[in-house]
Amino acid sequence: MNFPEYTRRHWLQRAGAGVGGLGLATLLADEGLLDGGDPLAPRKGHFGGKAKSVIWLFINGGPSQVDTWDYKPELEKMDGKELNGFDKNTGFFANAVGPLMKSPFEFTPRGQCGKMVSSLFPKLGEHVDKMAFIHSGHTESNNHSPALFMMNSGQPRMGLPCVGSWVTYSLGSESRDLPAFVVMSDPLNRGLPKGHAANWGAGFLPSVYQGTWLKPKGDPIDNLNRPKHMNDAQQLRQLALLKKLNGEHIKERPGDAELEARIKSFELAYRMQNAAPEAFDIDREPEHIKKLYGVGEKRCDHFARQCLTARRMVERGVRFVQIYSGGMENQRSWDGHNDIQGNHSQFAGETDTPIAGLLSDLEQRGLLNDTLVIWGGEFGRLPLTQKSKKPGRDHNPHCFTTWMAGGGIKGGVSYGESDEIGHHAAVDKAHVNDIHATILHQLGFNHEKLTYVYNGRRFRLTDVGGKVIKPILA
Amino acid sequence: MRFYFLTFAFFLPGFSALAQEGHAEKMKAGLALFQKSIRPALIDNCLKCHGDEKVRSGLDVSTRELLLEGGDLDDAINLEEPKKSYLLTLIRHEEEDLEMPPKKDKLPDSLIADFERWIELGAPYDKPLLEKKEDEPTEMQITQGDREFWSFKTLAQVTPPKVEGNWAKGEIDQFVQRKLQQKKLTANPPAKDVDWIRRAYLSVIGLPPTPEQLKAAKSGSRADLVDELLASPHYGERWARHWLDAARFAESHGFEQDYDRKYAYHYRDFVIKALNSNMPWNDFIRLQIAGDEIAPNDPLAMMATGFLGAGVFPTQLTEKEFESARYDELDDMAGTTGTAMLGLTIGCARCHDHKFDPIPEKDYYRFVSIFTTTIRSEIDVDLNSKEYEDSLKTWQKAHDNLVAARNSYETSPSVTRAFEGWLGGDVRKSVAESEWTVLETRSAKSSQKATKLTPQDDGAILASGNAPAKETYTVSTAPHLSTVRFLRVEALTHNSMNRNGPGRASNGNFALSDLKLFAVDAKGKKRQLNLVGAKATHQQNTDSLSAASSFDKDPNGTGWAVDFGGIGKDQAAVYELEKAAKLKEGETLEVALRFSNNSQHSLGRFRLSVSGDPAPPVKVGGGRDGALSAALVALEKGTLDQKNREMLFGHFAKTDENWVKHDDAVRRSEGSKPKPKTTKVQVSSEGFKPTKHHADGRGFPHFYKETHFLSRGDPNQKKGVAQPGYLQVLMRDGKESESWKATPPAEWKRTSYRRTGLANWLTDVDHGAGHLLARVAVNRIWHHHFGRGIVATPNDFGLQGALPSHPELLDYLAVKFIKSGWDVKALHREILLSAAWGQSSANSKKKASIDPDNDFIWRFTPRRLEAEIVRDSILASAGQLDATMYGPGTLDERHRRRSIYFMIKRSKLVPMMQIFDQPEPLSSQGSRPSTTIAPQALLFMNNAQVVQWASALGASVASDDVTSSIKDLYLRTLSREPSPSELSNSRSFIEAQTASYGGAKNSKQLAFADLSQVIFSLNEFVYLP
Repeated sequence: MNFPEYTRRHWLQRAGAGVGGLGLATLLADEGLLDGGDPLAPRKGHFGGKAKSVIWLFINGGPSQVDTWDYKPELEKMDGKELNGFDKNTGFFANAVGPLMKSPFEFTPRGQCGKMVSSLFPKLGEHVDKMAFIHSGHTESNNHSPALFMMNSGQPRMGLPCVGSWVTYSLGSESRDLPAFVVMSDPLNRGLPKGHAANWGAGFLPSVYQGTWLKPKGDPIDNLNRPKHMNDAQQLRQLALLKKLNGEHIKERPGDAELEARIKSFELAYRMQNAAPEAFDIDREPEHIKKLYGVGEKRCDHFARQCLTARRMVERGVRFVQIYSGGMENQRSWDGHNDIQGNHSQFAGETDTPIAGLLSDLEQRGLLNDTLVIWGGEFGRLPLTQKSKKPGRDHNPHCFTTWMAGGGIKGGVSYGESDEIGHHAAVDKAHVNDIHATILHQLGFNHEKLTYVYNGRRFRLTDVGGKVIKPILA
Repeated sequence: MRFYFLTFAFFLPGFSALAQEGHAEKMKAGLALFQKSIRPALIDNCLKCHGDEKVRSGLDVSTRELLLEGGDLDDAINLEEPKKSYLLTLIRHEEEDLEMPPKKDKLPDSLIADFERWIELGAPYDKPLLEKKEDEPTEMQITQGDREFWSFKTLAQVTPPKVEGNWAKGEIDQFVQRKLQQKKLTANPPAKDVDWIRRAYLSVIGLPPTPEQLKAAKSGSRADLVDELLASPHYGERWARHWLDAARFAESHGFEQDYDRKYAYHYRDFVIKALNSNMPWNDFIRLQIAGDEIAPNDPLAMMATGFLGAGVFPTQLTEKEFESARYDELDDMAGTTGTAMLGLTIGCARCHDHKFDPIPEKDYYRFVSIFTTTIRSEIDVDLNSKEYEDSLKTWQKAHDNLVAARNSYETSPSVTRAFEGWLGGDVRKSVAESEWTVLETRSAKSSQKATKLTPQDDGAILASGNAPAKETYTVSTAPHLSTVRFLRVEALTHNSMNRNGPGRASNGNFALSDLKLFAVDAKGKKRQLNLVGAKATHQQNTDSLSAASSFDKDPNGTGWAVDFGGIGKDQAAVYELEKAAKLKEGETLEVALRFSNNSQHSLGRFRLSVSGDPAPPVKVGGGRDGALSAALVALEKGTLDQKNREMLFGHFAKTDENWVKHDDAVRRSEGSKPKPKTTKVQVSSEGFKPTKHHADGRGFPHFYKETHFLSRGDPNQKKGVAQPGYLQVLMRDGKESESWKATPPAEWKRTSYRRTGLANWLTDVDHGAGHLLARVAVNRIWHHHFGRGIVATPNDFGLQGALPSHPELLDYLAVKFIKSGWDVKALHREILLSAAWGQSSANSKKKASIDPDNDFIWRFTPRRLEAEIVRDSILASAGQLDATMYGPGTLDERHRRRSIYFMIKRSKLVPMMQIFDQPEPLSSQGSRPSTTIAPQALLFMNNAQVVQWASALGASVASDDVTSSIKDLYLRTLSREPSPSELSNSRSFIEAQTASYGGAKNSKQLAFADLSQVIFSLNEFVYLP
C-alpha cells in the first residue's frame, strides 16, 4: 500500500506557496489557524503603501455622472433627441425610456485645474485640486444589489469578502480600542443599501474581518456599556477575579497561547469600553470644526456627524470606514428614477458641506496624506430621460464617475473618458476590478498576490482581472 | 479543422524589440540552446502535465507566450532577473514538495544550467511544442492515472498495525500509536475522569453535565455513558449544526430584500431527526438529493430536499439577468452537493476545465444539468402521516363497531315490531310539523356555462366553477304543498367560497338583484306569482341592498346582500306572495334568481322552501323536506316503498331512547374522525408550483427546460444541450453515467428521476462515488471530535486539499463505516471510546517541538466551544434552557431554546453567534475558524442576556452559607469543586461585592450573579477540557 506522506510544510506550501511578501499571521489566517494569535494585529503590505486607511463615501443608488462631475456639452446640444439603437433593457424600466436629456445643472470651472463641476457641489468644487476623477468606470450589472456587491466585493454575486474585509484581513488594524472596519448607514430611517449587511460581509474570510455596522440609533456598538446595576469598581473587581481564576487554570496548562490571548482580550475589552464612546462622541469637537462639517445644519447634520466620526476613527487608527449616503432605493437614495433634479439636489445638499469639511479637516491635520478618500456609487445613470411626472434617469452599468483623493493619489487630474453623451465608458475604460486593484496598490498590495484559499480555490478581490490605474497615482 | 503553426519566434511581439536592440546574436544562441536541450527537456519532463494532457497549476509550457504568462503560483520566467525565475527554483528542488519534475530524479546540473542560460537569452522558442486546434482547446481527458489520486482511488482494505503495550484500546489507537512511534512521539496519559465526562457531554450533546448527571457518570461505565449521550435528543441538535454549515443553510433568499423562507426550517428539523434516529449516512445523502422521488410519501424525505434550495437567490431580477441567475442557482446546487458530500470543488469547472482536479468543463455541465428542472416550492405536507394513518385505522375499527351495533339494534325483531305499530298510528302528528317545506329540486341551471349547480342531500343547491361576472339561476321544483303563501331563500355557507360565503364574491358576499316565482302547469304554461313583502335574518342595508329590493322595479342595481355582519354565516330571506297560491295537481314551481348588480356576486349555496302558514318564522333551517312530505302522502295512500320506509324509520327511531343512544355514539365518533395535519414545507423538487418571486410579474420562468454547455460560463455563448451525467473520474470499470440513471415508475409524471440517478451514483461504493462519500463523511466526524480532520481540509479532497495525516486509518474507518451500514453512531462510539480521544489535553514543550500542531494526536487539542455551545452551556448551567425541539426559529436573542433554533436570516445574522465565528451561510463551510477578539470579552462582560442568565444562576445558588453556594456554583458550571484558593478568592469577591451593593436587600444575590458571570467568562468554561 502506497500512501502519500503528509507533512505540515507541504500543506503550508499548498496554501501559501507563491503568495510571497505576506506575514506569517496572514498565511496562517489563510488556513483558519488564527487561534492564539491576534487576528487584527497590524501587518505590512507587499510593499510600502502610501495610504494607511480608507474612507469610502458610498454614493448609494447610483449618482448620475453627467449631472455631477462628467461635463457633457454635446448632450446639451442633443437634448430632446431620441438615441437610435438604444437597448431598452439597459436600465431597470424598459417601458419608460425617453429621449436624451441635458443636465438640469449648470457647470462651471473650479479650482486651479479648472475642472468643470456641476452646481450641485458648491463647496466640494473647492477641492477638485485634491481629486483624481475616473470618468470611464463601468460595471457588470444594471440592478442595485448585484452592482453593490460588484463594487464592494469585486463580483456581482452574494457571499464574497468586501474590500474592507480584504484590507483588514491583510493589514490588521492600528487601533486596539476600536473596530478595524466600520460602516455607517443612513440614520434617517430611509433603509439600508440593497443587499444589506452582505455589502460589508467577510464572505469566506473569518468573520472577525467583517465590517462593524454602527447602529444609527442608541449605542453604536453592541455590549459597549457596563450592566446598569454595576459600577466601575464592581466590574473591575469581576475582571480582577477573572484574571486570578484564569491564571490558576493556565498555570496547569503552560504553552497554550490561545488561552493567554483570551485572558488579554478581557483587558482589551475593558479599554475599548472606555475608549470607544469617547471616539464616537463628536460633541467633544470644538465648535469651529463642527461648523466646518455642517453639524447643526438642518439639511446635512446627519451626514456631517458621520463624516466627523470617520475622521475621528482614522485618527485613532481604524483601517477602513465606509459611509453610505442615502438609504435603500428610489427617492430614499441617489436612485433618481423620478425627478433627477430634485433627487440629486437633495442628496448633494446632504453631503456637499460634510465631505468638503472632511477633506479640509483631514488636510489641515496632515491625515490626508495617508488616508485614501473614495467617492462613488454602484453604477451611473443614463443620459436619457426616464419618463415620469418630473423627468428622471435610469440605471447605467456602462458608465460612471468616481473620484479618489489623498492616500498618494494625484490631485486635479481626470482619467478616462465617457463617450460624448456620457452613455458608455469610451477612452481608457476602468473596470471595477481596476478600481479595486488601485485601492489595494495604495495600501501596499499587489492585487494579484493577495489571495485566500477556500474550498480548494484561490480567491482574489479582483478575480481574474484588475490593473492598477497608474496615471492617477502621485 | 484549422491548425496554427508559427515557424519563428521572431514574429512574436516582444522579440522584435530584442532584435532591434542588436541582440540578434543572443537570440541565435538562445534558439540553438532551445533546439539542442531545452525543447527535448520540456517535452520529456514538463509538457504532459503543463500543456498537453493537463495544465497543472495553470502553467502551460507549450508556447513561449503561455510560458511567460506563468502559472497560478507565480511567474515561471523572470526575464529581468533570470536567476530568480520560479521555474529554476522548482527544478533546482529549492521548494519542498514542489520539486519538479515530480516523482522523477532531479534534472542533471548541466541541463539546469542550460535552462538558466536560455532564460538569460530571453527564453526563445522556434515553434510551439504542440500543434493545437485553434478554436477548440484540447478537452481534458480523464485517465486511469487521474483515478489513482489518493481520494479518488477505491478504499484500501487495511489491517490495523500491531502495536506494543496496552495503551491502544482499539483499532483507531493502533493506527495512531504506530504514527506516533514513527514520529518519535508518545501519547498523553488518559484525561481525568471528570474532564473526560465533561468533554463527552460537550462533544456529543453540546451541554455540560448537571451535578446529578456528573455523579451518575462517575459511577457508571464510559461505554454506557456514550450510549446514553448518543441516545439523547440533544445529540441531534448539536451535530445537526455541523452539517448545516456544510449545507450553507439559511432561511432567507439573501440579496436585495432578503425575503424570509418561512418554511425552510423543516430542513433543519430533518437533519436533527435523521441524526437522532441514526439514519444510515447513505440514506441521509440520498434523501437530500432526491427524497421527493425516493420516498414521496415520507414527510421526512420531502423535508430533506430543502438541502438543494438552501442557497442564496436574488429577489429582484431584470430580464437580462433571468438566465444567468438560473445558471448561478444550478451552480449553487451542484457546487454545494460536490463540496458538502464529496469534498470536490465542481464549480471551478464552470468557465474552464478544473485547474487542479480532473473535472473537465463538460463534466460540470452534465452534472449541473441533473438539476435543470429542480426548483424551490412550498407544499402542504402531513408531517405525521404515519401517525395519521395509524390513528385513522384505529378510529375506523371502533367506528365500524358502533355502526354495526346500531344496525343490529335497528333490525332486531322487537324494534321492527314497534316500528310497524308506529306506522299504524298517527304518523303525521309524530313527525313534528314544520312551517317550512323544502322544495324538491327537479332541475337547476345557471345562465352561464361556467357555473354548475348541484343538488345536495339537505335539499340545498351548491354552485361550483369559476363565478362569472353576472348570471341567473333557474330552479324547477316539486312543491309537495297545495297552498303557498311564502317563499324562503336560504343563503348558506360552504368552505368552497371566500370567507365561507354565502356568496361567491371575493369578500364572500352576494347580491340577489332580482327574484321571480312562477307556477308551471303540466303543459309548461307559466303564471307569475307576485311578491309583495320581505324580511331577512340579515340585510346589508334597508334600502338598495335589502331583501325587499330583490323584487323592486330595478332588476340590476339593487338586491339582497349580507355584508357588514352577515358574511360567513347562514342567512335567510322570506318573501310574501301577493295572493296565496293554490297549486293544482301536477303544477310545479319555478324560481328565477338573478345576480347582476356586482361582479361575481352570486349565491354559492342556497335552499328554497315554501310555507302555507299565515306567519312562518324568519329563520334558517327547520324545513321539512319535500321527500318526507311525499312519504307521508304515500303512507296515507298505502303505496309506501322501501325508500319511504327508511325515511320514516328515521323519524320513528328518534322516539326510541335506546336507538338514540346508539346513534349518538356513532355521531360522536364521526366528529372525532382524525384529520391529517398539514404544514407548509419548503422542498426542492420538480413540477410543483414555484415559490413566489418578485420578478414573476416580469415573466421570470424559474427554470429553463434545457441546460447548455456554455463558453466561459456565459449563457449568451451556448454550445449545445448537456445531458445529465456524473464525474468521469469517479466512474470505474468502464461504467458510464447510464449505469446509474433511474427511470420513474410507469404512473409517475411529476419529476424526471434525474436526481435519483445522482443519488444512486453518489452512494455506489463499487463503481461510483460512494467510497469518496464515505471518506468525506468519516473525516467530517473525525474533524469535529479532534478539531482537525485526518484530512485537514474537510471540504477539499482534491489536488489542492491537504493530504491525509493517517491515510490508512481513514480508509480503515471508511470501510468499516460502509460495512456497518453507514452507522454514524457506531463511528462516534468507536472514536469516543478510543484512547486517542480520551487522552489528556496537557501541553508539552518537547512534543510540541516535534509536532507543534498536534497533527499526530499526542494530546487532545483543547478548543474553544462553538458559538452555539457557548450560549447553550450558559443557558443550561443557569437552569434557563427551554428544551422545546423543532419548529420555526426566531431572531430574538432573548429566546431560551437551543441556539440551533435561531432563525438564520442572511441580512440579520445573530450578533451573538457571529461574534464567535458562526460562518456566513453563503457557501459550504467545512471548518470554522476560532478567533479570540475583544468584542467576545465585551459580550461576557456586558451583554444583557449573559447578565440576565447569570442573575438567574446567582439567585438559585445564593445562600447564607457562602462556601456551599460557591461549591454549588462550581459544580453546576465547571463540573467540579473549587480548589482552596479558588474558594477563598471567590469568597473574598462575594464579601466585597455584597458590601459594595450596600443595603440592597438582594445584595448577596447580586454578588452571586456577578460571580456567575465571572465563571461564564472563564477559559475553563468555554474550552473543551
